[in-house]
Amino acid sequence: MRSIRRKTELLLLSSALLLFGCSEATAPPLPASGNASASRGGELHLASFADIKSLDPAVAADTLTGEIIELLFAGLVDFDDQGHVVPDLAERFERSDDGLVYRFFLREGLKFHDGSPITAKECARSIERALHPDTPSSFAQFYDHLDGFEEFNVKKTEDHIRGVVVEGERVLAIHLREADAAFLSIFAMQGVRPVCPSAGDKYDDTWQPCGAGPFKLDSWDRGRSARVVRFDGWREPGKPYLDAITYTYGMGLVTQRFKFEQGDLDIDRELLLADTFRYQSDTRWKPLGAYDIIPSIGGEEMNVEMPPFDNVEVRRAVAAAIDREQFRLVKTSALVTLERVLVPELGGDDPTFKKQKYDYAAALEHMKRAGFPYDPKTGAGGWPKPIVYPIYKQGLYESSAQVIQQQLAKIGLRLELKVVSYPTYLAMTKRRATVALSPAGWSQDFPDPSDFFDPIFASNQINDEDSNNGAFYSNPKLDDLLVRARRELDPAVRKKMYDEADTIVCDEAPWAMEYQYKYYGVHQPYVKGLRWSTVWPNFVRDVWLDKPRKVASRRPSVLGWMLGLLK
Amino acid sequence: MIKRALRRLAWALLVVWATTTVTFFINNVLPSDPARMVAGPQARPKDVERVRQQLGLDRPVLEQYARFMRRLVHFGPSTFDKKDPEHGSCANVWRVHIDLGKSYQQRRPVTTILGERLPRTVMLAIAAVLVQTLLGVITGLIAAVKRNTAVDTATVGASLVGISAPTFLIGLALQFVLAHRLRLLPLDGFGDTTAEHLVCIVLPALTLGIYGAAYYTRVVRDELIGAVKLDHVRTARAKGLPMWRVWIRHALRNALVPLVTLIGLDLGALVGGAIVTETLFRWPGLGALSVSALLDRDGPVIMGTVIVSSAAIVLANLVVDVSYAVLDPRVRR
Repeated sequence: MRSIRRKTELLLLSSALLLFGCSEATAPPLPASGNASASRGGELHLASFADIKSLDPAVAADTLTGEIIELLFAGLVDFDDQGHVVPDLAERFERSDDGLVYRFFLREGLKFHDGSPITAKECARSIERALHPDTPSSFAQFYDHLDGFEEFNVKKTEDHIRGVVVEGERVLAIHLREADAAFLSIFAMQGVRPVCPSAGDKYDDTWQPCGAGPFKLDSWDRGRSARVVRFDGWREPGKPYLDAITYTYGMGLVTQRFKFEQGDLDIDRELLLADTFRYQSDTRWKPLGAYDIIPSIGGEEMNVEMPPFDNVEVRRAVAAAIDREQFRLVKTSALVTLERVLVPELGGDDPTFKKQKYDYAAALEHMKRAGFPYDPKTGAGGWPKPIVYPIYKQGLYESSAQVIQQQLAKIGLRLELKVVSYPTYLAMTKRRATVALSPAGWSQDFPDPSDFFDPIFASNQINDEDSNNGAFYSNPKLDDLLVRARRELDPAVRKKMYDEADTIVCDEAPWAMEYQYKYYGVHQPYVKGLRWSTVWPNFVRDVWLDKPRKVASRRPSVLGWMLGLLK
Repeated sequence: MIKRALRRLAWALLVVWATTTVTFFINNVLPSDPARMVAGPQARPKDVERVRQQLGLDRPVLEQYARFMRRLVHFGPSTFDKKDPEHGSCANVWRVHIDLGKSYQQRRPVTTILGERLPRTVMLAIAAVLVQTLLGVITGLIAAVKRNTAVDTATVGASLVGISAPTFLIGLALQFVLAHRLRLLPLDGFGDTTAEHLVCIVLPALTLGIYGAAYYTRVVRDELIGAVKLDHVRTARAKGLPMWRVWIRHALRNALVPLVTLIGLDLGALVGGAIVTETLFRWPGLGALSVSALLDRDGPVIMGTVIVSSAAIVLANLVVDVSYAVLDPRVRR
């Protein structure tokens, strides 16, 4: 009896220790010194659970790498916070009336990080290097409107791109084979940004990254960290403010929070859901947090070549059966309801637009019209076979799949969830006649409506394997509209065309739109000058630190901690 | 003895080859596309196709396998330029070259990547085995000496918790208390200097060590309880030797023999990479590398880590076999 009691006491004591130990209060923000004006100096510390693979703009493709590339490599043009193209290394640019020629006029006296001058010739070399057929670039096709691209990159019959013309030491002209309203946005992306002469004419694995951005590479310890330091030859006098920025990679989310609260990280952009709520509900931290919204769309992709989604009425039923507000509750801190393709940031803000709406009665009616009536009272009817629904191990899909499963069951579509790895999910959903229904998402490559229509809804994107148009949706009217919209240079006319395209997609529903994703981040009070761009995530180029000379150590004593547990 | 060792060595090579071959084909029949993983989920199909050609993934699987095996160990020049397209991705000992190709994702020779990672993992494996052996032997000894008392119950109970608790839980708890709350140790990382490495290794080594020690405790305790009943130990006690000497000099020595097998196998397995612990503590070894390679379908890196892991386990088995033969004359016959 005594022994049992002792064991019980021990168990209770251990549980109490664990409970008290883990339910700690959020640490207070570290103080700022209160300076109103920006000052130079200091080092910013950031971290991510992921890792970067390459720092060569010609091949880097992921968002995380994009953050540091944005600091190391400046372009002739760049984006402002709203996603508009603005001059950067070029002091100005102009477009011919027919939209076929763009001219970029470089600023005077520009230098690369290695001190060599930036000329139009170097810019042309950098473009051809990035688009060279031997470069393992994942975005070369974005530039297929360039005059001579096909001969240079695909057929390999020409040694230079005909449309990239050096017209003077500081003038670069780009000729297109047909007008492309998205060209400037594409050109402002990071891939074709000027690289130092040491990069040569062709991509080389062993090249040490060197560009013309506001920071230059100091060190890169693969798999662990990268450090960039201020480039004193940057075109804006007095900027950037920071002496250096250190990125640490492969750091777990819990460790990131621990380090952030200890002051070893200055910004925490990768929060667990619980920590997001914790910071949002803490009055001390709430003003120091913000959402980063880079346009993206998420929804259900329905393969129009496979039953039952070859029937447009079934697709319409799905689009009407999804209660997006309920779906949003899966991750309220990160999801914004979406009912059409165009997100508000890209012009999808018309309140009169006829979106995909949740309407259960209409969904049942669509199922009836499709020939699969469903009786919610008895559960009889609907599509007779289970539908395989692949998901991969990722926080959102694992939860959202169950919501979709429940919502579609209410109209007689019974999903069978199949958990696979991410690479398998990608291969399955992009292969013809393999998956009838799957969760899908698309993030902005460049800020233009065409990036959300052309790759995923145009029929020329259909392939037996590797089909970005995973719905295998083909509509000649939409195809024609998208081609014309891409060429249209009048913004107002173009907007109408994309609204029309959006109407077609919402009605024929190869996708049922659901959400766009937003990322919450929190920073210490002494981090100033953070900007929220709709193109570049975690944009820290203009940050300055208002840190007191010495931040008091938060290291507690062992005794203090033990006493804290007893409180 | 030598004949036996050579026969075991031949078997070991066969096992590594079989593991490598099976992994190669599994990796290639999986319904996934490494080229897509390199190009990214949103790359346009033509770009994906170009990347596929550049990586040689458009060739038949058998041709890829034949090329891989031909290049794996071959002869070449004793000195060469790292930009040499023929030998740039090789590691060599004089004219013997090992070529595992280039990582699809990192675009660096796999031998270079493994050369960076392996010493760190070996360092962690040795530290972890030291911790678990030390802890396991001490607690096992205490439990055996104090058997059927509260101390024994507590030790056996704690070892049960240690065996049952996953390493990530032990790691997180240690990280929370020792690094976050008390700030006695760094939260994670590897450090830049030897002193920093030694400080940074404490938490991951403790995590792996506590997990392993729990099992060792039980083994040592049971072996000791059996050993004290042996004639020579009883004789030692009858002669009036001090009890600590009886336990340590006479009983423990016998009880440690089975532990040699466990230590050898654990060391081999840990050299293959302690995936969870390395990831949790950002220890840049083979475990963390193999996770990212698997997630990215980085074939050459997967092959490299599998070869190293299987070779480590096979080698550990070989060493254990040989050491048994040295320790126990009966095995030699």
